[in-house]
Amino acid sequence: MAGYKPVAIQTYPILGEKITQDTLYWNNYKTPVQIKEFGAVSKVDFSPQPPYNYAVTASSRIHIYGRYSQEPIKTFSRFKDTAYCATFRQDGRLLVAGSEDGGVQLFDISGRAPLRQFEGHTKAVHTVDFTADKYHVVSGADDYTVKLWDIPNAKEILTFKEHSDYVRCGCASKLNPDLFITGSYDHTVKMFDARTNTSVLSVEHGQPVESVLLFPSGGLLVSAGGRYVKVWDMLKGGQLLVSLKNHHKTVTCLCLSSSGQRLLSGSLDRKVKVYSTTSYKVVHSFDYAASILSLALAHEDETIVVGMTNGILSVKHRKSEAKKESLPRRRRPAYRTFIKGKNYMKQRDDILINRPAKKHLELYDRDLKHFRISKALDRVLDPTCTIKTPEITVSIIKELNRRGVLANALAGRDEKEISHVLNFLIRHLSQPRFAPVLINAAEIIIDIYLPVIGQSPVVDKKFLLLQGLVEKEIDYQRELLETLGMMDMLFATMRRKEGTSVLEHTSDGFPENKKIES
Amino acid sequence: MAAGGGGSGDPLAPAGVPCAFSPHSQAYFALASTDGHLRVWETANNRLHQEYVPSAHLSGTCTCLAWAPARLQAKESPQRKKRKSEAVGTSNQTDLLALGTAVGSILLYSTVKGELHSKLISGGHDNRVNCIQWHQDSGCLYSCSDDKHIVEWNVQACKVKCKWKGDNSSVSSLCISPDGKMLLSAGRTIKLWVLETKEVYRHFTGHATPVSSLMFTTIRPPNESQPFDGITGLYFLSGAVHDRLLNVWQVRSENKEKSAVMSFTVTDEPVYIDLTLSENKEEPVKLAVVCRDGQVHLFEHILNGYCKKPLTSNCTIQIATPGKGKKSTPKPIPILAAGFCSDKMSLLLVYGSWFQPTIERVALNSREPHMCLVRDISNCWAPKVETAITKVRTPVMNSEAKVLVPGIPGHHAAIKPAPPQTEQVESKRKSGGNEVSIEERLGAMDIDTPKKGKDDLQTNSFPVLLTQGLESNDFEMLNKVLQTRNVNLIKKTVLRMPLHTVIPLLQELTKRLQGHPNSAVLMVQWLKCVLTVHASYLSTLPDLVPQLGTLYQLMESRVKTFQKLSHLHGKLILLITQVTASEKTKGAPSPGQKAKLVYEEESSEEESDDEIADKDSEVSDLFPVCTSACISSYSVRMRPS
Repeated sequence: MAGYKPVAIQTYPILGEKITQDTLYWNNYKTPVQIKEFGAVSKVDFSPQPPYNYAVTASSRIHIYGRYSQEPIKTFSRFKDTAYCATFRQDGRLLVAGSEDGGVQLFDISGRAPLRQFEGHTKAVHTVDFTADKYHVVSGADDYTVKLWDIPNAKEILTFKEHSDYVRCGCASKLNPDLFITGSYDHTVKMFDARTNTSVLSVEHGQPVESVLLFPSGGLLVSAGGRYVKVWDMLKGGQLLVSLKNHHKTVTCLCLSSSGQRLLSGSLDRKVKVYSTTSYKVVHSFDYAASILSLALAHEDETIVVGMTNGILSVKHRKSEAKKESLPRRRRPAYRTFIKGKNYMKQRDDILINRPAKKHLELYDRDLKHFRISKALDRVLDPTCTIKTPEITVSIIKELNRRGVLANALAGRDEKEISHVLNFLIRHLSQPRFAPVLINAAEIIIDIYLPVIGQSPVVDKKFLLLQGLVEKEIDYQRELLETLGMMDMLFATMRRKEGTSVLEHTSDGFPENKKIES
Repeated sequence: MAAGGGGSGDPLAPAGVPCAFSPHSQAYFALASTDGHLRVWETANNRLHQEYVPSAHLSGTCTCLAWAPARLQAKESPQRKKRKSEAVGTSNQTDLLALGTAVGSILLYSTVKGELHSKLISGGHDNRVNCIQWHQDSGCLYSCSDDKHIVEWNVQACKVKCKWKGDNSSVSSLCISPDGKMLLSAGRTIKLWVLETKEVYRHFTGHATPVSSLMFTTIRPPNESQPFDGITGLYFLSGAVHDRLLNVWQVRSENKEKSAVMSFTVTDEPVYIDLTLSENKEEPVKLAVVCRDGQVHLFEHILNGYCKKPLTSNCTIQIATPGKGKKSTPKPIPILAAGFCSDKMSLLLVYGSWFQPTIERVALNSREPHMCLVRDISNCWAPKVETAITKVRTPVMNSEAKVLVPGIPGHHAAIKPAPPQTEQVESKRKSGGNEVSIEERLGAMDIDTPKKGKDDLQTNSFPVLLTQGLESNDFEMLNKVLQTRNVNLIKKTVLRMPLHTVIPLLQELTKRLQGHPNSAVLMVQWLKCVLTVHASYLSTLPDLVPQLGTLYQLMESRVKTFQKLSHLHGKLILLITQVTASEKTKGAPSPGQKAKLVYEEESSEEESDDEIADKDSEVSDLFPVCTSACISSYSVRMRPS
């Protein structure tokens, strides 16, 4: 006896956005926790050491938040004016911050009062960082200078006066204790060496530089300013590697994912873009409610923290995979149940007859198998099916049509059921992948129910809707046909030109040139 | 009486426009809106009492306002204009309103006269005025400004009495002590000045951001054992920009304790504060705080010394629109101001837009921690102007005068000179004609008349928005541009868009062409426009065919069903016409039921048949539709399949 063959459900590729590994990875965050700060959040910095607390600089305060805390676990508020750029040291025990009044203050994480105060800048200090040897601090200020400070005796070691505008961003090399870079509003990014008293490298960004970033290897430098993000090769003496223009407003902050494979940029256009550092293409993008000023990623990308101009801090945590495990698992039959008798070795005279594998049939397949066509159609017209998997419904309709029983299956329905069918048609008739099948079904319905039309206002209304839809679709297709004509024309000129140019090329070289000139 | 949020940061924020209730009886509510108009509303019946537009309302918008205390009226008018009848007639009526502007001038507006009373300019501020306070009884006016100074004015003479530097940064708020001998000022820090000598008496520090509001909360110290010198032991209240705390401070005799005594937490920056003063020790101070997010928080507290934890509100009031049906969700309506009525048991709430606020009296119920009032304000938008009182003057212009209109620079707008007979216009208004609507005014300004080809405006196309949307792949932005129906606009945008965005636009259109015909039709308009306008550019592309290949295939696959669809459409049209025809006949019984031609044949069998059919039809008429559908379906089923 030939077995029943289940209906093949045609799957259609979803056109539009492709789901890549990256979208899955970056979408795997919980809904953001929003924390209101006192002012625009100008800097977020994660401690490099566990428990990976983060420091948030907003207005005249620095808040330290724990990983999952909604309230600050510590606050440094002894600033007379706006604080800037609170940054952790590599060991996570010291914190340095600049201030609007030109001071640089060094805090112990466990203490409250500043350990050191570096006085020397005459204007607001917007960027500070620790050097790789942990004993020095680099600061850049609005008085156009960059200074290097010694932590133990709180003295100024060096001053660089090479920038000709505000110094607004900078970072120190993670490998070499003497190297650090700063970006300035004079459109340049300069690399300084503490051993030489001068800058060793200078690149021209072209816009006021808002943020700079060194790759962990120190070989690549990323600068952001204006609408551009530019990547420079330091080993080749500052050659421009890539220039990215994916934002439509100023890019304000940069950040690397912990693997170093992805670069993130936040901008005033309220978006965070994720780039691959191999292809430098945008692989993902996040939307936020307000203009973004600061951005930081936790260890292993566990948390994304974004600070915005309206003082809201948005914290996204990665969804934990362990949660699924905690669900109570249904007990399954033991492993030996499945291999029972499978390891039996065939003797010489034995004839092995396999038990036919039991095929699991879907409910609608079972109905179809027993020729309950109307019921099968009812089943797939259920709202749960039509909304989630319209392709199953369409496949069943197609199968019924193939069997030649679609008319019978559609017949004999009351007002409610027929309006279900019509609803489905109205919803999906305009989709090109379903259109051929559904148009057929619609015609059959009209044929069947023509005699009783006009008796139910509900069904009449549905027919009216359907008619409106079909009319629109026809108008649309007419427009498309016209457009196709235009495109044919374009393609034709294209081909002719190719042909002619080839002809001319074979005959003579320079008429073609002439044509290009003209 | 109540100090409005005049000095608060952003004047454009919806909550936080300068406004104030008139003192004592709170009969009027003055609101200076962001468009520069001063409107005075009657609180009792929510009617517009007066409207006044200062002559320089665009350059110097109103930043703060304050009602003069009522007692002042008898001697308020300046010397040169003094008339006896007027001075006597307005004895106990609130009259003067002081308006501070963004350019530093102070205007005194008389509500009785309905016009400008006088101007305080000379020797005053040269920057934005942040706060104005009237002295209770001496007829003086105190103002502070972004230029760091505090000025004491003599209102009668319209002259500066004294001017001194109040802070290192801008001074944002002022408050006069209950006995009138001290003045509190706030900028970065709060300072208490002795008014006679203009010396600092105390400093108070603790707010991280500039202080925006100040107010004394008691008029007598809590313990009356010590002799009261007018200021020691008093509590006052302060709120700061971007701060969600209201701090309470106490003036102590010793100068040690400088920090706040206690604080109240609110949900957002306070923009309007009102309170009831307590008469004795046991009675709590009631405090109503309107926040920038449009909520009102009510506090009741007996002020008696230090409290470590910030206090939360006893009651929160919100107002929202009713959600009509399932789809529309209720939206919050911002509350602009709140004031306690004189009985201290009810609250006047002002909510809605500043253009047309609604004033309502709400009884206080301290037991409920949260009140959400549902109000429908959609029908309040039409201005309910009491026309007899309004005095709006249209400026009279001669034809030579050029008028600059705010808008795009380099853009010429011609203003029609107003008709010379202004009296007639006014009388027309008085007789009951509505105020000129915005639409008419705009029409009169005649902005959109394209005079010449070169003056073609750039406003009605968005190539920049489109380019930005394509560059950052912003879905909302692209929606905004692409979902336009205006063919002219599409054409202009496509014409002006940069060439390098053509291919990205085509790709975006490819994505959108797959959708519902409703939206896809609009995309075809764009596509056609791009193809026609940029045909020459496209034809120069070497990889045109691979670039547009998918688009072409997609369209081709879609139009394949055209024939079948047209067929179906024909059927549907027939069906629909039948239905409508039957409905028509149902609706109006046709006059002549008789057939034009009657053919009768005597046959008993047929008659009986007809009768049966009649009965059948009756049955089917009696039963609802489903039975008839079942019958018909039954007949269908009977067909051999």
